[in-house]
Amino acid sequence: MARELAALQKLLWRLVTAPSGVAEGLAGEPDLGADRLGAIIAGDERMDPAARVGVYAEAYFYRLLEVLKEDFPATLEVAGADQFHNLATGYLIDYPPTEPSIFYAGQHFAAYLHTHPIADRVPFISELAGLERIVLESFHAADTPALDDAAMRTIAPEAWPAFAMRTHPATRIVACAWRVDQVLRAVEEDRAWRTPAHAAATIVVWRRAARVYYRAADPAESAALALADVDSGANFGAICTAIAERAPAPDDVPGLIQRLLIRWLADGVLIDGNLTDGKIVDAAR
Amino acid sequence: MAGARAARGSVVTEAIAAHTPGNPMKRSDFPALGFGVGLRRPHYAEILESRPPMDWFEVISENFMGAGGRPLEVIDFVCAHYPIVMHGVSLSIGSTDPLNRAYLKDLAALARRLQPAWISDHLCWTGVGGRNLHDLLPLPYTEETVMHVARRVREVQDLLGRRILLENVSSYLTYVDSTLSEGEFVAAVATEADCAILLDINNIYVNAFNHRFDARRYIDAIPPERVVQFHLAGHSDHGAYLLDTHDHPVCEAVWRLYEYAVRRLGAVAALIEWDDHIPAFGELVAASAEARHRSRRALAQRDGALAARSIEPSAPREFED
Repeated sequence: MARELAALQKLLWRLVTAPSGVAEGLAGEPDLGADRLGAIIAGDERMDPAARVGVYAEAYFYRLLEVLKEDFPATLEVAGADQFHNLATGYLIDYPPTEPSIFYAGQHFAAYLHTHPIADRVPFISELAGLERIVLESFHAADTPALDDAAMRTIAPEAWPAFAMRTHPATRIVACAWRVDQVLRAVEEDRAWRTPAHAAATIVVWRRAARVYYRAADPAESAALALADVDSGANFGAICTAIAERAPAPDDVPGLIQRLLIRWLADGVLIDGNLTDGKIVDAAR
Repeated sequence: MAGARAARGSVVTEAIAAHTPGNPMKRSDFPALGFGVGLRRPHYAEILESRPPMDWFEVISENFMGAGGRPLEVIDFVCAHYPIVMHGVSLSIGSTDPLNRAYLKDLAALARRLQPAWISDHLCWTGVGGRNLHDLLPLPYTEETVMHVARRVREVQDLLGRRILLENVSSYLTYVDSTLSEGEFVAAVATEADCAILLDINNIYVNAFNHRFDARRYIDAIPPERVVQFHLAGHSDHGAYLLDTHDHPVCEAVWRLYEYAVRRLGAVAALIEWDDHIPAFGELVAASAEARHRSRRALAQRDGALAARSIEPSAPREFED
């Protein structure tokens, strides 16, 4: 019986997820013509069996389309509603949801866009979707006490160089080839977006007081945070060295280190290095 | 509501002990929560800021299974001030896939954190072959399916260490091979699995229209002792069928069916569900108050009818309107 039920459920899954609807799905079932669905699903004069399965098919697609629209508002804006609809259709064929939580439904959307022909016309779109996904993941990332000014004051000055720091679980260091943060910001602020500069940038994404923020980092800050953005973290001395090697004004290295540290502590970007992990992320993957 | 968590702690502990599989189930094993509403994101700020009077909240389990951030901040606050129950949408208890152990582990961890009065999910399947439809699909109503689902429910209950509630789902199709009515199927699964029932009155109403059956006969088939919670919600009329959209007020016909269920099944915790076009929190509070009012009225009618019947042997049927 379990095998019969399994076969029934698999048939319904195929019909519900058929890209162009239940009729097309039925046509693709060599052992099951449209008339024979009536041997499985009850129908009446109001709705035949295919129409009844169609209620689920429509709900499946539009529920997931709405989730993708909500999770990728800037990608939606750039692609336009019609094109986004088609992208969602293709995405759900290639990446049908596998996780119990619908939160994960869009987890591969950036990777899908990376190899989609739209990337030839809108080359930054996969990075934009990647950044939107990372912002969402930061929102839900684990809670861990961030390093703040008070915590640093408890550390003796002579112990600072060896003090290990890591990025907070909600902090993401995102390598981009396009300034997609500018597109996301424009859409969030309900402004007209423009094609972003094709310029390599590192975007820092972090969470403070349950809100997610992001900004571009200069090379010195990027190098320092990349150093801290690994499982083992980095000690403060190494972070200072990374900043010094890329500081635009060698005379201002102490001042730059101070300004960056004050900012990181205020934003909650770092944690005590002995606590948790983080990884460098490619926005398009 | 101050101190609700401490008070609830002992009630929940006793309830979990009573839920231990093997003990005969009684509705009184579960706390009598009263009348609640679903916790939804548009109302977070109002609830956190004004802490409105409310008997209890139902939370969607999957919304709080993330590692951290705002959702857990909110739920920790709500749990500190109100009784809550966990309502899942992804257990897929009727699937032929193996039970998802990772999901169950997360569910158990969330239950340890939130200490809900009870945990519920749906009597349906949501995916197969490792793929998820994110929808609640009906099962064939057969003895074989009863045994299949009951075995899985017992496994889940053993893992969670407590009885769960299964909710009847709205549906738009039925299977030719079904040999039981839906009400008989729900009752048989609950009895065979030794689990409790979350009876969604709107879903019964929707299904009664979509599949042409008598909603009251459905309720008559449900064993009263196993019903621990009612759901009330709105639906949309699509002409040929009713769609369970949770985006409208509870309609009068569903309210009347609810009153019938209260007369038939007794005083049961009830909850207003609203998932789309969510109105101001006050409208949900008003709907919850309406459920309380109608429950009291229905119980008074039932008690009056019972008293009359004890005096007058030829009194009309107990549960007739």
